[in-house]
Amino acid sequence: MGLNMSDNRNLQDQKRRLLAEKFELRRKLYKAFAKDTDLPNDVREKFRGKLADLPRNSSFTRVMNRCVFTGRARSVYQMFRVSRIVFRDLASGGLLHGVKKSSW
Amino acid sequence: MLQCSEHRAYIPFNRDSGDFPSPAFCPTEGSREKMSMTSLKSMLAQAAVRGVTEARAAIFGHVLNPTGQRSAHKILRKKFIGEKVASWYPNDIQKEDPLVVARKEQDRLSKLEMLKRRGKGAPKKGHGKRAAKRNK
Repeated sequence: MGLNMSDNRNLQDQKRRLLAEKFELRRKLYKAFAKDTDLPNDVREKFRGKLADLPRNSSFTRVMNRCVFTGRARSVYQMFRVSRIVFRDLASGGLLHGVKKSSW
Repeated sequence: MLQCSEHRAYIPFNRDSGDFPSPAFCPTEGSREKMSMTSLKSMLAQAAVRGVTEARAAIFGHVLNPTGQRSAHKILRKKFIGEKVASWYPNDIQKEDPLVVARKEQDRLSKLEMLKRRGKGAPKKGHGKRAAKRNK
């Protein structure tokens, strides 16, 4: 893990993750209020507006599970947090505990 | 043909034609009283079940929604995931060691100096290739 291009992406993603964590409670609250059918419509509108005013990077949908080693966005396994290529290298080197080539 | 379990009588019921068997089909004597008995029984059973669910909700603090209307409870009951999400990237311990950080910074600066000595450093703002093209 050095100073590569991939680190920029990871830094941005990390920024998004922190924002999402920070605004999570507020976001949930606003969304819940906005969708509550028992409230009057203007109150619901107000909360919908508040939800829209929150920073976009505080949404969980914008967070991308990148590979921790290479920063690859695709084919990243949640269990190991690495992409398939790095996973293969690590597993072949015996660095992943309990992982071996399957054949049956 | 359905068999009425209570009275052991066969009810003529054609499933294909979309019939629905009514209790009035039970061809026994006093069938009308029997019909009100069955509906009364079912009503009592329903009331009992409702009472049980309400009691359970009162004891354990559940949120009830018997009519199934849209409710904000669905959003509020999910657990928080923020902490788990924020801890995806492992902390780089090299960043915390001041010696390593200082050394890396020194390497970067010396590299820059080398380039500048050769005349290959970064151009001043507004003098790059693109800027030149724009100004021309």
